Amino acid sequence: MLSLHPRSFVFSFAGAAVFALATVVSSFAIRWVIDNVILPRFEDGQVAVGTFFAGIGMIIGIGLVRAIGVVFRRAFASAGMWRVAETYTNQVLDRLVRQPVSWHRRYQDGDLVARAGVDTETTVSVIAPIPFATSTVLMIVISTIWLLIIDIPLGIVALIVFPLVIATNVVYERSVSQYYTRAQEQLGDFSAAVHESFEGVQVIKAYCAEERETMRLTELAGRVRASRVEAIGRRSWFDALTDMIPAIANIVLVLLGAARVESGNVTIGEFTSVIFLFTLLVLPLRLIGYALSELPRSMAAWIRIQAVVTEVVLDDPTMEIGTADTGLGIQLTGVSFNHEGSGLAALHDIDLALSLGKITALVGSTGCGKSTLTDVVVGLVPATSGIVALAPGARSIVFQEAFLIAGTVRDNVAFGNHADDDDVWAALHLAAADDFVCALPLGLDTVVGERGISLSGGQRQRVALARALVRHPSILVLDDTTSALDPTTEEAILSRLRSSLESTVLMVASRPSTIALADDVVFMSAGRVVAHGTHVELLERESGYREIVEAFEADRAASS
Amino acid sequence: MTGGFTSSLETSETAITTIRRGLREVPVLRHGLWLTFLLAALGSGGRVVVPILIQQAIDKGIVGVGGEDFVDVALVAWLAFVGLVMVLIAGIAFRQAALRLGVRSEQALYDLRERLIGHIHGLSLADHSEERRGGLVARVTSDIETLAQFFQWGGMAWMRNTALMLIVSIVMLAYDPLLAGVAFAVACPLAIVLRAVQRRLVLAHGEARERNGEMLGAIAEVVSGARTIRAYEAGDHLGAVVRTATERKATQQIRAAWIGAFLFPSGEVFSVFTVSAVIGVGVWRGPESGLTAGALIGFIFLTFRFLEPIAEFTEIIDQTQTAVAGLRRVLTVLDMPVGPPAPEAPIPLPAGSLDILIRAVSFRYPSSEVDVLRDVTVTIPAGQQVAVVGATGSGKTTLGRLVARFADPTTGTISVGGVDLGSVAPNELRQRLVIVSQEPFLFDDSIRANIGFARPSSTMVEIKAVIADLGATDWIDALDDGLDTKVGERGEALSAGERQLVALIRAGLADPDVLILDEATSSVDALTEVRIARALDRLAAGRTTIAIAHRLSTAARADRVLVLADGELVEDGCHSELVVSNGAYRLLHDAWISATTVSKQSEPSEVRVEAERTWPLDRRDFAREIVEAEVLLNGE
Repeated sequence: MLSLHPRSFVFSFAGAAVFALATVVSSFAIRWVIDNVILPRFEDGQVAVGTFFAGIGMIIGIGLVRAIGVVFRRAFASAGMWRVAETYTNQVLDRLVRQPVSWHRRYQDGDLVARAGVDTETTVSVIAPIPFATSTVLMIVISTIWLLIIDIPLGIVALIVFPLVIATNVVYERSVSQYYTRAQEQLGDFSAAVHESFEGVQVIKAYCAEERETMRLTELAGRVRASRVEAIGRRSWFDALTDMIPAIANIVLVLLGAARVESGNVTIGEFTSVIFLFTLLVLPLRLIGYALSELPRSMAAWIRIQAVVTEVVLDDPTMEIGTADTGLGIQLTGVSFNHEGSGLAALHDIDLALSLGKITALVGSTGCGKSTLTDVVVGLVPATSGIVALAPGARSIVFQEAFLIAGTVRDNVAFGNHADDDDVWAALHLAAADDFVCALPLGLDTVVGERGISLSGGQRQRVALARALVRHPSILVLDDTTSALDPTTEEAILSRLRSSLESTVLMVASRPSTIALADDVVFMSAGRVVAHGTHVELLERESGYREIVEAFEADRAASS
Repeated sequence: MTGGFTSSLETSETAITTIRRGLREVPVLRHGLWLTFLLAALGSGGRVVVPILIQQAIDKGIVGVGGEDFVDVALVAWLAFVGLVMVLIAGIAFRQAALRLGVRSEQALYDLRERLIGHIHGLSLADHSEERRGGLVARVTSDIETLAQFFQWGGMAWMRNTALMLIVSIVMLAYDPLLAGVAFAVACPLAIVLRAVQRRLVLAHGEARERNGEMLGAIAEVVSGARTIRAYEAGDHLGAVVRTATERKATQQIRAAWIGAFLFPSGEVFSVFTVSAVIGVGVWRGPESGLTAGALIGFIFLTFRFLEPIAEFTEIIDQTQTAVAGLRRVLTVLDMPVGPPAPEAPIPLPAGSLDILIRAVSFRYPSSEVDVLRDVTVTIPAGQQVAVVGATGSGKTTLGRLVARFADPTTGTISVGGVDLGSVAPNELRQRLVIVSQEPFLFDDSIRANIGFARPSSTMVEIKAVIADLGATDWIDALDDGLDTKVGERGEALSAGERQLVALIRAGLADPDVLILDEATSSVDALTEVRIARALDRLAAGRTTIAIAHRLSTAARADRVLVLADGELVEDGCHSELVVSNGAYRLLHDAWISATTVSKQSEPSEVRVEAERTWPLDRRDFAREIVEAEVLLNGE
C-alpha cells in the first residue's frame, strides 16, 4: 500500500524518527536542567546565567523540533493515506465502467458503491497510524537503551510496564470490541427497521399498529443498549487500569529510585528524567493498541476491494454483433439466452427479422423475456447461442426507468457524446421534450436530478429518449419507455421518428395505444417468439395475443 | 407543523437551554449526576498523586536534610504506600463513575428512542411525506447516535478533565500561587489558539464530508446507471466525472489533515513554553522565597498535567456541539403535535354496515394557503359503492384520508354510522374502517406475516379462508414457498400487481365495514389485473366502499360517481348518467378511452390524422394533462 505513494510516506517516517528522538532527548534536557540549573540554584544558591539560558533554550528547542516531527509525521501520513484511497477508488471505478452488464448483475448496487467508497477508507485507515506506531517502537527501543544506561534496575522496572500496557490493550480489544461490533450490527438492524416502519406508516396507522410497531422497534434498540452496556462494564475497567498501571509503576520507580539515589548509583536529575521519560511513553503506548485493533477490519475491506479489482474484465457482448442482411434492421438467428447460474432459458431459439425502418411492437405477458430480448439485441448481454446481427450505425436503448445523472439537461442528452446545442435541441424536439425544457429556468443548463429540479416521470423519459435520438441511431430499442407518456405525446413522438429518422424501432408495448402505433407486432410467450405480423393478423391467428389485448378491451367494455 | 419542523432548528436557543430541556425530557440522566461527578473527581485525583509523591520524596526523603544525597528510604516507602492506596482508590472511583455514566446514558437514550418512535408514529401523515422521512429516521438513529457518541467519550471526558483541571489548579495554587499564576498566564493563549485552529479544522472536515458525499453520489450513478452507461458507451465520460470527484475529496481530506497536524502538537509547544516560564521564574526566585527544588520539579510535572486536558477539551467541545445540535433536532420532533387526538370519551359505533356523512368539509394542509377540499357535502348510505374521480390535485386522495381520519377537516364534520369521527376510539375505527393505499407498503417479511399484520391474532385457517374468499388461492399456491414466500424490501420481490393483491387480502383479513380504496395507476400484467379486479369485487361486496378511482372502469362499475375538481364536488351521479352529460366526467372518460384503444387499422398515421380532426385542441390538451397527471400520481 505504501509503495503506491512512496514520497509522502518517506517524509512521514522521517518526521516519526525526529519525533521519537526528540522525545527521548527531551527527557535528557529535563535531567540536564534539573542537575545543572535547578539543583545548583537551590542547593548552592546560584547558577550561571549562560547555563540557565542554555537549559531553557534546550527545552524549547527540543520541544519545537519534536512538534515539527509530529506535524510531518501526521500530515504526510494522512496525505499518503488519502492518495492511496484515491488510487483504490479509481481502481474499483475502472472495473465499474469497463465490466459489462452481466458482471454488474452479480453484485448489488449498494455493495459496489461500498467497495469503491467506504471500503477504500477502511482499508487505508490502517495506514495513518503506521508511522506513529513505528515512532513508538523506535522510542521504546531508544529509551530502553537509555534507561538501561542510566540504571539497570530502574530500566527493568520501566520495561516491565510496556508489555503490561500492551497486554491490557490486547485483552481489552479482545473482550470489548466484539460487543461494539455487535452493537454496530444491531444498530444497523435497528436503523433499517426504523426506516421500514416510517416508510410503512400509513399501513401502520390503517391497522392501528402504532404501539405494536413501537414495541418491535424498541426491542431492537434494547439489543443495542444491552451490547453497549456489556462493553461499558468492561471498558470502564480498562480505562481505570490504563490510568492505574503507569501510576503504580511510577510509584515503584520513585521508591526504587530513592534507593538507587541513596546508594549513589543515580543522580536526582537522572532519577527525575527516568520518571519523565516514562510519562512521555505512556500515551503512545495506549494508542498503539488502538491502532493495531483496526488491522482486521482493514484487511477485510482490502480483500473486498481486491476481489473486484483482480477480476478479469469480461468480453464486451457488442463485439459479437454481426451485420444484418441488406434491407433488415434487426436479424436474430437461433438466439437463446440463459441467465447466469440458471439452467432455464430466458430466451429460446429465437429467429427474428425486422425490416429496416419499421416500427415493431413487442408484446407478451410479464416475465416472458421481452426485456431480455431487448438487452440481447443492443448487446448489453451476450446471447448464449445464436447470432445477433444489426444494420450498421449507432444503437440506442431507452429503459422503462429513465436514468438521469445529476447534471444539466445538456449533459443528460449528450451523455459523453459530442453534440452541439442544435443537435441537442433537435433531439429534444423529436422526443417532444423541447417545450418543457424551454420552460425550465436555465433551459439546457438547468440541473436536474437529486440536487436540481425534479422532473416528472414522463419528462424524465423524454429526456432519456432525446439522449437516444441525439446519436441518430439506426437501431432504436424502447423497453416500455413510452408507458410513462400519455398516448398523444407517444403518438407525436413516433410519427416524428417515422418522418425524420431511418431507425428500425423495436418497442416493448404494454398498452393498446402503443401497439396501435406500430407497423408490426412480435408476440412473445415463455421465452419464445410465438407470432410476428400485424396487429390485425395476430388478433385473428393467436389466441394468447387476443387474450392479452382483450384484457384491456374487457376493462374498457365494462364501462360502456 | 410544517413550519415548525424546520424553522425551530434555526432558532437561537442556547446550548444550555437545550441541555436543560433534554435533562427534563430524560430524567434518568439527571438522577445521581452529582454522585457521578464526585466519583469522577475522586478518580482524577489519582493523576496528581505521582507529581506530589515526587515532590515529597525529593524534598523530604532525598534532599531534605543537609543538601547531601541522603535518602530516607523508610519515609519514601511510607509515602509510596500512601500513594499506592490513593491510586487504587482513585482507580476504583473512576471506574464506578464511568460505569454509572455509561449505563445511565444508554438507558436514557433507549428511553428517548422509545418516546421518539412512539411520537413519530403518532404524527399525522402530512408530517410523514417522503422528503421528511429521511429526516425522521435520522432523528431516531443518527441524531441519537451523536448523543451516544458524546456520552461514550465526551461526557466522561468533560467530567474527568473538569475535575482534573480543578484539582491540579488547586494543588498548584497550594504549592506556589505565583508559579501557578505564571503557568496559567502562559497557558491561557493556548486555549484561544487551539479553539481557532479547531474551528478551521471543523470547517475543513465538514467540507471533506461534503466532497465525500459528492464522490459517493458520482460512484452510485455509475453503478445504478450501469445499463444505460454501457448502452451508450459513456463509461469513460462518467468515469472521468467520478475521478474528478475522487481527486477533489482526497485533496480536501489532505487539507483537513494538515490543519489537524498543526492542531495536535500545538498543545505540546505551549507546554514547553509554560514549563520554561515556570522553571525561569522558579530559578529566578530561588530558595530565598521558600521554594524548594522538589516543589519546583513537582510543579513541572503538575504543569504538564494541567495542560493535558486542554487539548482534549478542544476535541470534545466540537463533539459536544454536535451532540447538542442532535438533541435540539430530537426535541424539535417531540414538539411537533401528534395527529388527530383520540377522544376522551369514545362513543362505540353501531354494529353492522355503516353509512358515511360528510358535511361541509374543507381541508387545508398546515403549510399551505390553499384549500384542498372546499365545502364538500356527501351522504353515503351503508353498503353503497362510491367512486371518487378527478384530476391530480382535485382533492380525491385527501377526501379518502379524511374519512379514514388520518387528519381532521379544517372545517366541517365527518361521521360514520352516525358517530362523529372524532368520538370514535382509534382502535375501533381501524377495525371497522380500512384504507388500502394505491402503492401498498409491504414489510420485508413473508406474505403471511404481511397479511397477518391486519390482525396479529389471526390463524392460518382464517388467512387461508380470506385468500380463498378473494379468489387468490391459485396465485398463492403457484408461489415457490406459498404463504411463506418472502416479499423482499418494500415487497420488491413481487410485482406491483401482486403487492396490491397482498394488500387487498390484508384488508380482507381485517374484515372492515367501510373500505377506502386508493387505487393504483401503475400498469399491471393482464392476468394479475384480472385477479385484482376479482379480489376487489369480492372485497367490496356488502361493504360501504369509497374507491379513489384512477381508472374509469372502476368508476363505471360503482353505484355512484363523485367528481371532484379543484377541491369541489362538481358532479354526483351514476356513470351512465354522467357519461352522457357534457361535464367534467365526460372529458375524463374520453381521455381514458383513447388511451386504452387499439386501432384496428393497420396504418397508424391515419389514427393520428383522425384524432386531430375530431379532437378540438383544448380538449386534447386536457386529456394529456389528465393521463400524465395520473401517471404522476404514482409517485404521490
